[in-house]
Amino acid sequence: MMSLPFVLFACAIGAAWMRQRGVAMGFWVVGLVTMLVLFRVHVTEVLNIQL
Amino acid sequence: MSADLSRLLNAIGLLGIGTVLALAFIDQIWFGDLPCPLCILQRAGFFAAGFGIALNLIFGPKPSHYGMAIIGAVAGGAISMRQILLHIVPGTGSYGPPVFGLHLYTWAFIAAVVIVVGCAIMMLDDRQFSRAEPMSVRLKALPLSALLLFLVLAVANVFSTIALCGAGFCPDAPTDYILFNSSPT
Repeated sequence: MMSLPFVLFACAIGAAWMRQRGVAMGFWVVGLVTMLVLFRVHVTEVLNIQL
Repeated sequence: MSADLSRLLNAIGLLGIGTVLALAFIDQIWFGDLPCPLCILQRAGFFAAGFGIALNLIFGPKPSHYGMAIIGAVAGGAISMRQILLHIVPGTGSYGPPVFGLHLYTWAFIAAVVIVVGCAIMMLDDRQFSRAEPMSVRLKALPLSALLLFLVLAVANVFSTIALCGAGFCPDAPTDYILFNSSPT
C-alpha cells in the first residue's frame, strides 16, 4: 500500500519519457492524491520511540 | 534566460533532488536507518516535486510544470512539518539519528522550501517560456543522467517500500524488513 505513490510516480516518469504528457500528468495527479490519502491515515499516529 | 539555460538549471535541480533521495536510500541501506511511514511519504513528496522538473527537461519549461513541482514540494514539506511538530516539545524524543545537527525530516522540510523558492525564482524569467521552435527530443548528458537517476530511484523505492512494509501499511517504527522476516518462528 505504501509503495503505491512510488509505483504511480515511476509510471508517470515512464510515460513522460515516452512523451505521453497527458498520461504522465494523470499518473502524477493520482500519485499525489494517493500520497495525501496515506498521509491522512498516518497523520495522527504517535511514533513508538524511546524517550 | 534561454530555454537551454533553463533546461540546464532544471537538470541541476533534478540532480539535487536525486542526490537527496539517494542519500536517504544510502542511510537506509548502509546505516540501517529504516524509514517510518511519514519518512516514506516525504520521499514520495520529493518524487512529486521532482516530476514537475523532469517534465521541464522532457517537454521544455512551462509554468504548469513548475506549478506541479511547487505543489509536490508543499505536500512533502507539510508531511515533514507534521513530523517536526511531533517532536517539537523538548523531551518528546526524535526519530533517527541527526545529520549535521538536524534530523532528516527537518532537512526534508528545508529542501522542500528550497524547491519552492527555486521554482519561484525560475518562473520570474518569462523568456524561457517563449520558445518558438519545439524542444529537441534528444537530451544531453546531464539532463539524461538526472532523469535516469530519478527513474531508477523511483523504482528502487517501490521495491524498498514493499520489502519494508509488505502489501499493507508500514509499522510506526519499523525494526526490520517485513518481506525478509515473514518466516514463522
